[in-house]
Amino acid sequence: MTLPRNLDDALEAQILELLADEQYQGHPLRLALEELWEAMNSQLDRLERITELSDRYQKAARENTLHLAKRYDRQIRLLERVLRISDRYQSMLKDLNVALREASTHDLLTGIANRRLMMDCCRQADLQFAKQGIPYSMVVIDADHFKLINDTYGHDFGDRMLVELARVFRENLRSTDVCSRWGGEEFLGLMNQASLAEAERIVERLLESVRSSSIPYEQEMVTLTVSMGVAEHEEGETYADTFRRADEALFVAKRRGRNCYVVAPPSGAASGSRHLSESQPAGPASSSSPPS
Amino acid sequence: MASSDAYDLTLEATQFSPSVSTDWEQGCLRMSGESYPENTYEFFAQVIAWTERFLNATADPLTLELHLSYLNTSSIRAMIDIFDLLQDASSEGKEVSVRWLYDNRNPRASELGEEFKEDYTFPFDIVALDVAS
Repeated sequence: MTLPRNLDDALEAQILELLADEQYQGHPLRLALEELWEAMNSQLDRLERITELSDRYQKAARENTLHLAKRYDRQIRLLERVLRISDRYQSMLKDLNVALREASTHDLLTGIANRRLMMDCCRQADLQFAKQGIPYSMVVIDADHFKLINDTYGHDFGDRMLVELARVFRENLRSTDVCSRWGGEEFLGLMNQASLAEAERIVERLLESVRSSSIPYEQEMVTLTVSMGVAEHEEGETYADTFRRADEALFVAKRRGRNCYVVAPPSGAASGSRHLSESQPAGPASSSSPPS
Repeated sequence: MASSDAYDLTLEATQFSPSVSTDWEQGCLRMSGESYPENTYEFFAQVIAWTERFLNATADPLTLELHLSYLNTSSIRAMIDIFDLLQDASSEGKEVSVRWLYDNRNPRASELGEEFKEDYTFPFDIVALDVAS
């Protein structure tokens, strides 16, 4: 009802009074007023019921919305947390992967490349040679009298010696070269983009550095020496062939009294010429010269 | 406190799921291994069911001892559900705790424990296991 409450009440009182008045009994207007009065009251009741129901629905809808909003916020927070933790696991796995790759490609003792990584690098060098003619050379290095050193000073000392040698090699090779522990006391250096002349310069430097390094053992300083065989990769070879020639040159260096390097002669056209003979130009660093 | 609800759960570890073992008498649930099961919800439903049963049936303390080196995303979600159960129980005054064990060779695993621990008010210890020796 839009009537002001007091007016509404006054009107209501007046109508009730009129309807109760005996003098209007039987009057057609009284009958009409009575019916109108009852119809209006019934409508009012319905209106109140509708309002009440509508209020209840509105309240429920509002509560539902609030509940959903709360649940939504909670789910979002949960999702963010799950994602954050999941990302962490992922990045942890990535790091573990890197560590595993490092472990599978590097020597545990010396930290330099292992045979597997070196073979990959050699294959790469073969490809670059085949495609672009980029030269490379190899040096096979063997620690002299390693068994004797192990027997005399113990295996721990032998290990320290290998670590020291790896350090010297790393320092004296160029940044583009790869140095690996090929096995036991044998190392292999891959000198990328190095012709024999360049390789010899590097190897001479290497030999000098090894000669001037020493490792303390109790009161004495133990000096180290190595023997080396050097070969430049040639047309028609694989890295395995180049390695074999360098290894044969190393064998000659050992026979020549160790503590020196020997340069492998070119493989030549005939397969038999790969065999090194003692008469070929080779010897200690000071006297060695590349084959013509 | 013996209860007719008491039961224990034992699941062997597989390549994809951690081992699970419970001790109702001691109030302990242990999980160890990696978790990326094919059906994560089915797998964790058993763990969640045991935890709920324990928390509803008894007022005894409950400890979760977890040594989980890897969890996939849905396993993370399931673990949070379990921790939420513990938080609710803790809010009701029950004594619950988590021991998050990690391999000391992988310190980043402790950060993961920290990340899980966030938001919870019950004791959540992150413990390094000396696996290297």
